[in-house]
Amino acid sequence: MGNAEGRRSQLLRGVLDLCLLAVMGEGPAYGYEMTKRLRARGLSIVGEGSIYPLLGRLERDGLVETHRAASNGGPPRKYYNLSPDGERALQGGINEWQAARDAVDGALGLVKAEVMP
Amino acid sequence: MIEFVEECRREWRRLGVPNPVANEMAADLTADLEEAEAEGGSPEDVLGNSAFDPRRFAAAWAAARGVTNIPAPDPQPRWRPPVAIALAVFLGVLTILASFALLVGRSSSSIAFATRRIAAVPGRIHLFAPGPGRVVLPGPLGRTIVGTGGPGISLHPLALMVFIAGIVGIVGLGLFALWYCSPWFGRRNRRPGARRTPTWN
Repeated sequence: MGNAEGRRSQLLRGVLDLCLLAVMGEGPAYGYEMTKRLRARGLSIVGEGSIYPLLGRLERDGLVETHRAASNGGPPRKYYNLSPDGERALQGGINEWQAARDAVDGALGLVKAEVMP
Repeated sequence: MIEFVEECRREWRRLGVPNPVANEMAADLTADLEEAEAEGGSPEDVLGNSAFDPRRFAAAWAAARGVTNIPAPDPQPRWRPPVAIALAVFLGVLTILASFALLVGRSSSSIAFATRRIAAVPGRIHLFAPGPGRVVLPGPLGRTIVGTGGPGISLHPLALMVFIAGIVGIVGLGLFALWYCSPWFGRRNRRPGARRTPTWN
């Protein structure tokens, strides 16, 4: 079980930035709102780390743009949305993920065929 | 929750994060945590397992944003200032001892360690001028230990070598310290991505 958790964590680490860019593609969102969007898509960060450092890096790399705005009567929040560079990075990342996933699927399918009687 | 944010603030202060940036991050974090709490969630829903390590979380976030004045810790230990200070003190003491030995040797023309017979003279302190093959030291409880013997080992060449090595070492250490404190050192030793922090933390 521990190994399975560890593997899941490793896998998420490699693609979480892509997932964040993807949920930002739905529209500008603040930090916790992105967490909720991820959860709605079946990706919970409980047991993992926070998304804030990752958002900070995306901002520093120019992949997201930010602005402050009020949120449903609450305090002003920092909203993140995709920059043009971020949109290109998202598209490139999706292609890379699909290629990697296909390759892994192929390898796992081969293993399964060998194991099956 | 408040304690978590305060702990983050302390860490940002320690890391030299500018106040406006720290205030902004703290405000965003507080708002997100309050929203999660209002929805019946826990800090883990917002922070994942970082909810249990505010300092690490704060440091990772600040470093990812590039707002720290203190470079991210190098995972590989390298030359540290305390080591340099200890080495400098050691070399300094060694050089002083060597120079003392040289001065004494020059005034008495010869210094040698007694290697054979040691005699204890009770009740008196005898201070003899060092001579060839003889070392005289005041002993405990008023005794004087007098050592005499054969020709012994001349300390003069050894002291000279130690003195020169000490001077060279101190000068070298000083030059290294200058280079270590210069901006070139950080640039030359920074590995690609060294300031990057874990992206999922």
